[in-house]
Amino acid sequence: MTMSKVLHSQSIKSALDNRGWTQKRLAEEIGVTSQAVTNWLKGVDFPRPDKLLKLATTLKLGFDQLVESQVAKPVIAFRKKAGAKTTDGHIHRAEVMGMLLKPLVSYLPPRKALRTQIPSPSTDYEALQNAVAAVREKIGIGMQAVLTYQQLIGEFRANDAVIIPVMWGQKRNHENALHILLPDEQVTFVYLNLDTHQEDFKFWMAHELAHVYTPEIAGKDEGEDFADAFAGALLFPRELAHAAYAEAAKQRAKTPQMEVLRRFAGQHHISLFSVFCEVRNYAEATGVAPLKVLAADIHALRNLTRGALISESLFKPQPPESKTLIATSNTTFQSEFFPSLQKMLHERGTGVGYLQQVLNVSIHDAAALHAELVH
Amino acid sequence: MTLVLLDTNAYLRLAKRVRPMLGVKFGQKEYVLTVLKDVETEVHRNPKLRDKYPWFDGTDLRAERLAARIPLSADDKDRLEAAQSLLQGWVLSNLDSYMTNGRSPPGETDCRVLAFGQIRPAIVVTDDLGMHQLASDFDIPVWHGWELLSKMRSAKVVQSELIREIYEALEVNGDLTKTWREAKHTAFIKVFGPAPEA
Repeated sequence: MTMSKVLHSQSIKSALDNRGWTQKRLAEEIGVTSQAVTNWLKGVDFPRPDKLLKLATTLKLGFDQLVESQVAKPVIAFRKKAGAKTTDGHIHRAEVMGMLLKPLVSYLPPRKALRTQIPSPSTDYEALQNAVAAVREKIGIGMQAVLTYQQLIGEFRANDAVIIPVMWGQKRNHENALHILLPDEQVTFVYLNLDTHQEDFKFWMAHELAHVYTPEIAGKDEGEDFADAFAGALLFPRELAHAAYAEAAKQRAKTPQMEVLRRFAGQHHISLFSVFCEVRNYAEATGVAPLKVLAADIHALRNLTRGALISESLFKPQPPESKTLIATSNTTFQSEFFPSLQKMLHERGTGVGYLQQVLNVSIHDAAALHAELVH
Repeated sequence: MTLVLLDTNAYLRLAKRVRPMLGVKFGQKEYVLTVLKDVETEVHRNPKLRDKYPWFDGTDLRAERLAARIPLSADDKDRLEAAQSLLQGWVLSNLDSYMTNGRSPPGETDCRVLAFGQIRPAIVVTDDLGMHQLASDFDIPVWHGWELLSKMRSAKVVQSELIREIYEALEVNGDLTKTWREAKHTAFIKVFGPAPEA
């Protein structure tokens, strides 16, 4: 993968203007002829690496300001932790991970021509329910059926989205899931943090699936809003919300109403809050009276009963050995990530540092995974 | 004076046994060793590194690192940032060159170390093969850790006994890289003798 290399002549000319420098002066500073600079700026020639570096430090311009890239940047969408603020540093790190994933794409199985797309994604209740109904029909389940992990995982596979299960800890990282779309390659990688509460995990998977179905708005605020709305509706659609509402509304007090919602949440392996939101949305959309339960009641209860982490249910003892993590990724998550990575490591002899960066893990964890994959 | 900048791993391989190490002139070219602040960050954010190198936070070593740190002006910092960005951008758009034969694409901190080497200038010491490739592409002077040790030996900063001790520790810790292993019976033939016949 070698990009076409052309200097960003406009930003270089602006930098020269700001300094009051001519191209001749720049040539003197860099130690080349004026003709060389002219050729660079016209795009007929490109500087050697050492001259390019001199150009960067002389004009104090970074790579993106100095070099025009023909390669589309990875599109990033975070499933952030509550209260986490996304900085330029987070975006840069995720973009680097995306760029590093590019060489891996040629080791993935051939991509499928037909993928599910949601045309004109909208958070309007009716439109959302229609989109959800179409997806459930495609998966082959009714509107009141429990959407299983395996069905969700199958949808990722069917749409060429590669799941990368990671153990980023409960607190260390800014995000719980990371979606990286490579526009040139038309492949999506979805990092799922397994150090996540079970009750939240299915919602996050559905949220990430929404990004897969709507690549044109992934990475934008509207994409996040849609993904949240879609995830809730997919896991607990109108028909279920209606059933839960009808049952809960028979109860006069908050506590028994909450118990009804909790029972539904347990049946569908989703959080009480997700059920509450979908029932509230249903009530608003149909104009029926809201339940007595308030969001604050749900949060108060939720903080007391967060339950186990997905990683705790998958791995005993903890932390898992590299072999176990890889096997879980391959079988439970049906992911092509590690098999493809293994092929690449064997063929190219890539070092441990690649794994460290692409998985955002410590060098020791990367070394253990590398050793497992190359032997 | 010739400035020599060690990356984190190169520092960790030598700093426990070569004392004092940073900020001391040696050899005809008056080499002076230094490290970036990133060494502290890299070790402190990684519990396994902290466990493996408990001596890292010893008062004398910390003081030595701090005293040997090279101050950077605002202009230096701007140039460092530009050079780091350029190097990392270059790596990411030419990944094929940095992903074969045991190499890994140099990351953000690796690029900062090499960028420092370019702006000061300094010879960079690293055992990372991807960094060697990048340094070679950009004409930034670079040594392997064993090359630094060899220069120290020539300058009589370290003796054969200490070199044996360092190799032994690297072997025990599983830190003996391929290039260090190869140097054992070539650069350090006077210490270890010729390679045993297979």
